Amino acid sequence: MKDTRHDLPPEHIPLGLIPTPFQPRLELLSRTKDWMNWAGYISPAVLDTMEFEYFAIRNQATLFDISPMHKYRISGPEALAMLNRLVTRDVRKLAPGRVAYVMWCDEDGMVIDDGTLFRLSETEFRLCCQEPQFSWLLDAAWGYDAQIEDESHNVAGLSLQGPTSASVLRGAGFEIDTLRPFDLAEVEPGLVISRTGFTGDLGYELWISPDRALALWDRLWDAGQIWGIRAIGYHALNMARIEAGFIAAGVEFQPIHHTLRLHRGRTPLELGFAWLVDFDKGHFNGRRALAAHAKRGPRSMIVKLDIGGFKPAADALIYHRKKREVGHVTSAMWSPTLKRNIALAEIRAPFGTDRTSDLWVEIYLNQEGVWQRRMARATVLSQPFFRNPRARATPPAAF
Amino acid sequence: MEQFDAIVIGAGHNGLTAAAVLAGKGKKVLVLERSTSLGGMMATGMLNGVQLPRLAHLLYNLNPAVVRDLGLKLDAKPMPTVALSEDGRHVVMKGAEARFADGTAHPDAAAFATLYQRLVRFGTLLGQLAQAAPPDLSGSLSLAQAGELGALARLGLRLRLMGKAEMREFLRIVLSNAQDLILDELADGPLAGALAADAVRGAWAGPSAPGTVFSLIYRLAQGGGAALPAGGMVAVISAFAKAAEVRGATIRTGAAVQRIVIEGDRVTGVELADGTRVSAATVLSTAGAAQSMMLAGHESYDIEAVRRLRNFRTKGTAAKVNLVLSGAPEFNGLSREQASGRLLIAPSVRAVERAFNPVKYGEITQMPIIEAVVPTLTAPDASGKHVVSAVVQYVPYAPDGGWTGTARQIVIDQVVGALDRFAPGLAGMVTASELLTPGDIESETGAPGGHWHHGEMSFDQLMSVRPANGLAHYGFGPAGLYLAGAAAHPGGDVTGAPGRNAALKALKEMAA
Repeated sequence: MKDTRHDLPPEHIPLGLIPTPFQPRLELLSRTKDWMNWAGYISPAVLDTMEFEYFAIRNQATLFDISPMHKYRISGPEALAMLNRLVTRDVRKLAPGRVAYVMWCDEDGMVIDDGTLFRLSETEFRLCCQEPQFSWLLDAAWGYDAQIEDESHNVAGLSLQGPTSASVLRGAGFEIDTLRPFDLAEVEPGLVISRTGFTGDLGYELWISPDRALALWDRLWDAGQIWGIRAIGYHALNMARIEAGFIAAGVEFQPIHHTLRLHRGRTPLELGFAWLVDFDKGHFNGRRALAAHAKRGPRSMIVKLDIGGFKPAADALIYHRKKREVGHVTSAMWSPTLKRNIALAEIRAPFGTDRTSDLWVEIYLNQEGVWQRRMARATVLSQPFFRNPRARATPPAAF
Repeated sequence: MEQFDAIVIGAGHNGLTAAAVLAGKGKKVLVLERSTSLGGMMATGMLNGVQLPRLAHLLYNLNPAVVRDLGLKLDAKPMPTVALSEDGRHVVMKGAEARFADGTAHPDAAAFATLYQRLVRFGTLLGQLAQAAPPDLSGSLSLAQAGELGALARLGLRLRLMGKAEMREFLRIVLSNAQDLILDELADGPLAGALAADAVRGAWAGPSAPGTVFSLIYRLAQGGGAALPAGGMVAVISAFAKAAEVRGATIRTGAAVQRIVIEGDRVTGVELADGTRVSAATVLSTAGAAQSMMLAGHESYDIEAVRRLRNFRTKGTAAKVNLVLSGAPEFNGLSREQASGRLLIAPSVRAVERAFNPVKYGEITQMPIIEAVVPTLTAPDASGKHVVSAVVQYVPYAPDGGWTGTARQIVIDQVVGALDRFAPGLAGMVTASELLTPGDIESETGAPGGHWHHGEMSFDQLMSVRPANGLAHYGFGPAGLYLAGAAAHPGGDVTGAPGRNAALKALKEMAA
């Protein structure tokens, strides 16, 4: 009798993780074979070493496959009105050819997700985000003359970040000198480049149909050789993300549609994004609840911390006067570029908002089998940890 | 632009109640009614020159707080309910008393009395909840919240005071279905069928559906029993209108509101179909829940609220058949007084359930359940003609094949045929007839889906979630807008309670 136990399923039914359009190249570059599940796609955690990849972001140019991002096309005569009711910002101020960072809330004013909104034309938008939003967007579009298309699987995305990224694009023959931060342009038919990213550095994101993905990769790879181009995985990107002070869904806040317990949601104000909420633009989802929240003041605040010492304060609790527990660290690292011990943390009001002195972080260290507890002083910062003028220069310099 | 303190959309009994309460507190109130007559579902009709109740024909459940606040003086005569029986052994019910029409004792009389009195007791208990906004349980525990919980606590206390056995019985049956409750106590037949029919009147449900015991209890909230008001329903609506007008409210008919004007998340007035605007900082809408939302614009509501209101179930199943007869119908085995009561054709609980089944599949019931009144037996028409006013269940909103002339005639013929079996010769006396399907009722009164209660009175659509979670306290989205019709707590029937409660809420916020 034939042994069928290890037969593979028919090819048209993908089981398990599926490859992104760039996987054939990543597969060859991966030395660690350290893959992650990102929205059902195979995604590299690390390809070579995290440190090499991190330094490439800050000193060279890097390619990170962002195809697993959820991407939605919103189009129609009332797409603008529909989006303006969805997100907290005033989308009317977003000109065609521009990108905006946006958040959207549930009826209680709790953040559902954040993402980038691309205005491709007067009537066409693309929303990129971390969490699946199709059914929510369909609900949000009811009553509007607007269509929602889930193009997550139909658009390949590639993030090219680092000080030499503009040079790589120029070398590959793309006209990007006029792109300001948060600009987008269709530089060739079917290829959109936006000056956006998740590193706080000079960088671009490229959007193309999956069947042309590998040709684009090769074109950038060839042009990037003299500019030190490297492919990177998630961990290196996450380091750059923390240095830039960007929040991440599921880390700095819990997307409200995934929480089961009461009071786990956070308002944009509590994430430090009061400037993203436009109370005067007319009704938007959660506006009434947010207005009431704004009156009462935030329950907690996401803050940037500079921590004494050099031991990363991952998952640490935060104390006031070393005694009263007032919060916890959400993301932490030793920043190799800044040579500082940095963290993002959630601190309960009034600490972190009005009272920011005398805060201490409790760090546990396992030194060869022996646990040590250290209290390190934490200072609340108002500016991003990593800031570099090259990220904003237009046209960008060669490196 | 004309300026009022408050505008009420719709001159049904809830709209007029709200207007009277507001005007009674010195507010300058304007009532705008789309149709040319007052009363909404209580409006009067004309058929073949004879006046008749176009839709609603009886009064039950009118809220005593509304009667008191509006100073309504209604001469409403309680009438017996007659459950018609194929074998001629009709059952006459007066309150908790049931006996055969010939005066002999009904074998289930004692069981019926016990059950009925118990339901009325429970109804009275729940009826007290109808006189205020439903408890708001959304906030955190605070002093203000304690007041909200107080209403529930008082209900719990009153429950407890009924005694352990009664409380246990209440909790046992309140969520259950009418069929099991009734058949536990009574043999299936016209008496049991009558109770079952009352449990599902106007509902998209058969008596075996969970929650039908609650609707039965709700209907008995004011002691049960139906009354035929002297002068007909038109007298009732005149009393409501007069209560509003003597307090200074202005009522305008033929004035359809096409939009509630919102500026900066606040109501600023309404726009009429002809484009004129009337300004007011407070607007109370007695239209359906989703309809009210659309008047204000769905973009003024949160996405969750829109989804809930879109899915608020409003499938009407009750139609109205009105007949004009050349003479007085003679019902076999009924005295004239009995025949002028509320006549029910609901042969058994099983028959009510069976009558519901076809409507689920877009079909017309072969054996409809009928509540009929011959008001001209009590108040004769000058012409000497008689009318039969019948509420007919279950009739689909949109039957397969649509409401063709044939389909309409089928329903009328069924009703005439059913009545003719009990009043031989009635069919030959019909000189005019009309059918108002749920769709007709919707287009005439605006009731969504033609639903008698502006939305199913089921557990997921009652109390703190009527019409939807977050919108159950009359405040309806933008500041200054209130839902004041049957889609708001406590719901349908001619109670006036939603209108009164909404007006009180509006007054509170106007004073703040």
